[in-house]
Order: sequence, then structure tokens, then C-alpha cells
Amino acid sequence: MSTLGAVSAAKTDWNAMDDDAFRMDLRAYFEKEFPDHLRFLPRRLRWAESVDWWKKLSKKGWLAPNWPVEHGGMGLTPAKLIIYWEESERAGLGRMPDQGLTMVGPMLIRFGNDAQRANYLPKILAGDIVWCQGYSEPNAGSDLASLRTEAVLDGDEYVINGSKIWTSMAHDATNIYVLVRTDKNVKQQRGISFLLVDMKTPGITLRTIRNIAGHEEFCQVFFDNVRTHKDNLVGKLNEGWTIAKGLLTFERLSIGSPRRPLQAFEQLDALARAQHLFDDPGFVDRYTQLKMDLNDLSSLYGRFVEKVRQGIPLGPDISMLKIFATDTYQKLSELLLEAGDEYGAFADEITLGGDQIDLMSPFYISRPGTIYGGSNEIQRNILSKYVLQLPS
Amino acid sequence: MSQQDSSEHRAMLSNSVTDFARGADVARVRKLRETKTECDRAVWRQMAELGWLGVLVPEQYGGMGMQLGDMAIVAQGLARALVPEPLTATSVLAARVLTASDNNSLKTKLLEGLVSSDILPATAWQEQAGTLDVTKITTQATPFEGGFRISGAKRFVIGATHADGYIVSANSPAGLQLLWVPRDAAGAAMTFDALADGRQSGTLTLSEVTVAKENVIHSGAAAAESLARAIDHAAAIASAELCGIMSRSLEMTLDYMKTRVQFGKPIGSFQVLQHRTVDLYIQQELSTAVLADCLGVLDEEPDAKTRSAAASRVKARCTDAALLITRQAIQLHGAIGFTEDCDVGLYVKRAMTLAAWLGNGTAHRRRYARTEIIEGATA
Ligand SMILES: Cc1cc2nc3c(=O)[nH]c(=O)nc-3n(C[C@H](O)[C@H](O)[C@H](O)COP(=O)(O)OP(=O)(O)OC[C@H]3O[C@@H](n4cnc5c(N)ncnc54)[C@H](O)[C@@H]3O)c2cc1C
Repeated sequence: MSTLGAVSAAKTDWNAMDDDAFRMDLRAYFEKEFPDHLRFLPRRLRWAESVDWWKKLSKKGWLAPNWPVEHGGMGLTPAKLIIYWEESERAGLGRMPDQGLTMVGPMLIRFGNDAQRANYLPKILAGDIVWCQGYSEPNAGSDLASLRTEAVLDGDEYVINGSKIWTSMAHDATNIYVLVRTDKNVKQQRGISFLLVDMKTPGITLRTIRNIAGHEEFCQVFFDNVRTHKDNLVGKLNEGWTIAKGLLTFERLSIGSPRRPLQAFEQLDALARAQHLFDDPGFVDRYTQLKMDLNDLSSLYGRFVEKVRQGIPLGPDISMLKIFATDTYQKLSELLLEAGDEYGAFADEITLGGDQIDLMSPFYISRPGTIYGGSNEIQRNILSKYVLQLPS
Repeated sequence: MSQQDSSEHRAMLSNSVTDFARGADVARVRKLRETKTECDRAVWRQMAELGWLGVLVPEQYGGMGMQLGDMAIVAQGLARALVPEPLTATSVLAARVLTASDNNSLKTKLLEGLVSSDILPATAWQEQAGTLDVTKITTQATPFEGGFRISGAKRFVIGATHADGYIVSANSPAGLQLLWVPRDAAGAAMTFDALADGRQSGTLTLSEVTVAKENVIHSGAAAAESLARAIDHAAAIASAELCGIMSRSLEMTLDYMKTRVQFGKPIGSFQVLQHRTVDLYIQQELSTAVLADCLGVLDEEPDAKTRSAAASRVKARCTDAALLITRQAIQLHGAIGFTEDCDVGLYVKRAMTLAAWLGNGTAHRRRYARTEIIEGATA
């Protein structure tokens, strides 16, 4: 089915379109077609809520703005990609269980083999499979390389034992990509492999975990003699760490996008209008500071996206994007609460000046950005070591 | 009371609070979001028996007649244990307004009720977000022979879910009126919005509510002044609560940093985290130093300008420090700090609720700038 998307995407050269025309096309479509009751939700969308929209976008060829055209994506330039995100935010499109689009697709395009691409990419675009990420373990968070979930080859299958935690949306996923230990006798990073596993495989059990806002956001995933065919090894045996690092780079790029802070700005604008905050020079200072930070974030983001487009591998300096994006987002969410005065402690949406404003959700949503994808402390370690090359 | 008496008294208070807090049930706090039972009347009665509801109330009404410095010990200790009962809203804000009343029979009835826990009053003074000015209201009190009829809407009423009545401020031709409106008064309706920590913010709508003369608490400029003083005092005690929140939150974080191992070492051994927590510690110590100083100033009953400046200093610092420390507690715990099951989140949420109540950091700096800096410069 996804070939439909690929065909129609190939027909239009989005990048050749005038920016405004492209924007208006997206805007009209997002406004008309996205289900109203799912706009501006204070949480990630569940798969059941997303699937219709996913399939619709896929048919239109608009599901994977960042994938190359030959694999069914839109192949957008950075400038166009940013327009795409801005319009998604403007329309309040929620975050779907999008690991297949943001992580697995780009990863298979780069590190997978032809059979894996042929098998998985169309299914991702078609919405037939939903992915989750099994990296972290209870004792392997920042120190991911110390992971202990192990896989042992038995005939044609790997047998997996151990447990993963903080697996976002695992309760909605049909497939999981996991980092497993396949050699205990070498340096930690050298004994890790990358496997793809069907969540329905016997031996997998889940415990859902509620986040600070009370939403069931992630799970602990237990593996008890779980078998997966050896064709599901991505890249070479014991070279999973390199792939994971490459993928983390994609993740940092995705977390570094200005799209999420943009949504918080919508809320801040509505609040400022309703409460006449632009009359207060103190507020205007803080607002403008963040507005300009966000503009500058877009410039920095554009620089990295442009590299990706030109096929230049992203280096450790991508960490600065992740740091600046997530820090800015948190500051913005904090200003939203502060500028809300008494309303800044309201747990639910408020109605002010005819607008529905959600002051609290951006606060919660922006918190984990500095923790996942490699915490910001770890990113700073990376920058100081590999970019600034300071002695350790 | 002699200096020695008073320090012995404080030590006793402190011990009883510590004992109580040890038995406090965090599971109850966790359930607030679903059950909305922010005040358990049995717990409230127990707090009354320990004398805490009346720390500031004169002895002739059954209280202890003590100072803000004493009240702060109780508030800080209970906040550390996240006790959700509305101590500061009732025993500081409402108690201060009632103590200033010149209507002796009403005052006696309400204060004795407050101290014994039989009557729980909530103060409904505010109408707009972002201002501490008690005169910025539009609720009207229209006089008639027997008293007033009042109409208007009050927002951000704290400690109202179990309140037996409300202290309502309203404008009348004779100036500001502070009026007692029983919970079931005809024409009075309370609705609630959930706050971050699961407690509730009340909105009181008053339409043509009749208040008999006997229920007038205080009138005119003296009433406005007593309300403003009560708000400043409550802001200072809310700051003591924030100190309790930040100290427990930082303690939990330091404990975690000593036990959580990554890269073969406790994460507390990483220098960047050491420096980070040292900075948090400095904020905590700044807060407690300002708190002690400002409570001292307030207990000397200075003029209104000095009083407000002291209240703003302490509320601004304690709010910002508590928000910073509790947010960093999430960061330093990693993913587990972002879960519902982890107590770290409860402290973040209580900090947010206390921060927004009676003026957040920005609001207090704005007020401080107006009275201490801008007016000072033009004087
Ligand atoms: C909302 C959310 C969703 C997530 N989704 C997924 C998912 O889908 N799949 C998945 O695999 N994982 C996921 N994670 C897990 C995430 O990747 C980890 O939380 C992260 O790697 C940090 O590990 P940790 O939580 O164990 O914290 P820890 O590693 O225990 O870190 C605790 C604190 O110590 C600091 N620290 C640790 N080491 C150092 C050091 N050397 N120097 C300085 N500071 C240090 C950290 O920065 C942090 O502040 C998710 C996490 C969150 C919060």
C-alpha cells in the first residue's frame, strides 16, 4: 500500500514549490483532515487514535517528510521541513507513536540490508507495524554500554533474556528494536548487537509505568527466552553499538527540532493576549529572549538538517542542538507557568479571553527532554571530550 | 515570654511536628488527584489538639498567642511530609483577618471554632490573577437596614473544599467590607479547579447574598490594612512551607546520588553533579536565611511598606529556590524522577502550587520594585 505514497510523493517535487504555497497546502490539509478532538492534546497520542491519520497521510505521501523520496518519503530540504513542523504544530497535530518514522526508517535506510528495507519500510509507511525502542535497562541508563539483556544464538534464532525499561509506548507497539549483549568477553561496547523483535513473540511481558503527569507513557519490557530469527540482526554481530550511536544522532536531531517549543509558544501567545502581558516590559523582555532563542534554534537546526540532506555524517557536535533545544523548551514552559500567575498552578486547561490555554502540559512534556536521548549532562560530556577535546 | 521560654517552646513545637510528620501518609497525598480529599477532618482535629491551628491566635480565644517564627516551624515541618491540610490558609490568612476584627462576638465564635477545628474558614479575597492589591476587586456590598447584599466572584480560594464559611471582601459606599458568609448561604456557590498537587482552587460566585450586620468582620481602611497584613504573613509562612519542600527534595536527591551507580560509580561522584547540588544547597541556605530574617521583621509589626518588602523578599527567593531544586530533583533522578510512583514528583507539584499562591517570584519582585525601587528613587 505504501508504494502509493511513494508514487504520489515522487510526482510532486515539494522542494521546488514556493514556500508559501507549500505552507498553505499543508495548512489547508491539516486544518481540514486532522480529527479535531485530537488537536493540542497534552500527551502523546496512542496508536489507536493515530492509525487513521497515519494511513491518510501515508496515502497522500506526506507521512515521512524526512525520508528520501526513493523510500517513500517527501525528501524535504531543511527549510521545507521546518515549514512542515511549524504547520503540524499550528494545527495541533499530536505526537504519534512515530519511532518507525523518526528512528527505524532512517536507521534501516542507513544500516539495514535490502531484505530488511523491503520488509519493514513499506509496513511502517502503511501503519501495519508500530515500533518501540528497547535500549535502557534498570541499571543501564546513561551508562548504556553496561546493558545486560543478552542474546544467545541457538540454531537460526537468537534467544533473548533480560529486561528493558522506560520503553516509550511499548504497550502500543507491534515491534521493538533492542540492544542486546552478544559477547561478554570483550570491551563492553564491542559485545552489543542490534535486533528487531516482534512484540507478540512468546516470552515478552510488559509492565506499564505512569509518568509524572499520570499518563501511561512507558513500560518495563521483560524478555524470558524470547526467540527471534537471525535475519533480524541489523548490521553485523557485535556491531550494534555503532548503529545505536548513529541512531542516537538521529534522535538528537529529532529532539533538537524547534517543533515542540513552538507549540508551547502558541500557549504563551494566547496567555499573553488574554492577560495583556505585552503591556508589562518585564514580560516582554523574557518573552523576546525566548522568541529569539527559538529563532536561533531554527538556524542551528537548519545547519544540521542541511548536513543530513547532503549526506554528511553528523558528528558529536549534534549534542549542542539537543542541549539548546531542550533547555530552551524547558525555559519556555517555565515562563508559561510564571506568566500564568495563579493559573500557573492549574492542573488542567483554563479558559481565558475566549481561548483554551494549557499552561501545565508543556511543563511536563518538556521535562524528560533533558533526560532521554542521552541526558544533557552526558551531551556536555560528549562535547567537552570529543569536540573541545579537553583532557579527561 | 522570655527568650529561653520561647526557644524551649520552639524546640517542643519542632519535636511534635517531626513526630507527626514521621507518621504522615504520602499515599494519601498521592490519591489527592482522584479523591480531592485535601483535608481530612480527623487529621485536622488532631492538628487542632496539638495546638497548631491556634499558634498565632491570642490565648483568650484558645490559641497559643505565639509568633510567625513559631508558625513557620510547624508549616515547614508539615510541608516536608507533604501534609495537604490547609494550615497556612486557615491558621495564618484567616486567623490574622479574624484576630483584627472589631466585632467581638463574631470574632470569638470564629476564632474559637478555628482553633478547635470546629469551624474551618476560607478567605475569599482575590479576583484577578497576578495582583496582591486587596483593593483591586469589583465585588459589591450594597447596604440595607439589616446589613449588606453582596454580588461578585472570587477566585483562587485555597483551603475551601472543606470550609464551613468564607471571609469575603467587598466594596461598599463606606469602603472595604470583610464579611462572613456561611458555606450554605443562599446565593453563594463554590466550584473547584484542580491544582498541580491535587489540591483545589475555589471560585466563589456570590449573587445577592444577604449578610446580616452581625456577620460584618471588619470595615473600612482598617479592614483593608488587616487583610493586606494577613496576606503578607501568609506569604511568609507559605515560604516556610517552600523551605520544607526544598529541603526534603534536596535530601532525597543527595541520597539518590549516593546510591545510584552508573559507569561503575555513584553518580554523586561526578563533579558536574556535585557542583550542581552545591548550587542548589546555596539556594536552600539563602532561602532559610531570608526566611529567618523576614519572619523577624514581620514579628516586629513594622509599617506596611517594610512589611510588604519583607514578605516579597522571602516569597520571591523561596519560590524560585523551591522550583529550581524540585525541578533539578527530577533531572538528577533521571527517568525514575519522571514517574508517578516517585515521590520527587509530589514535591515538584506542591512547589508549583505554593509558588503560584499569594504571588509567585515575578509578582513579588514586581511589587518590591514598585515600592522599594521605583518609588524610592522618585521620593
Ligand atoms: C519520558 C522518557 C521516555 C523514554 N523513552 C525511552 C525509550 O523509549 N527507550 C529507551 O530505551 N529508553 C527510554 N528512556 C530512558 C532514557 O534514555 C534514560 O532515562 C536516560 O538514558 C538516562 O538514564 P537514567 O534514567 O537511568 O538516569 P541515570 O543514568 O541514572 O542518570 C541520573 C542522573 O545522573 C546524571 N549522570 C549520569 N551519568 C553521568 C555522568 N557520567 N556525568 C554527569 N552526569 C551523569 C544524568 O545526567 C542524570 O541527571 C526514556 C526516558 C524518559 C524520561
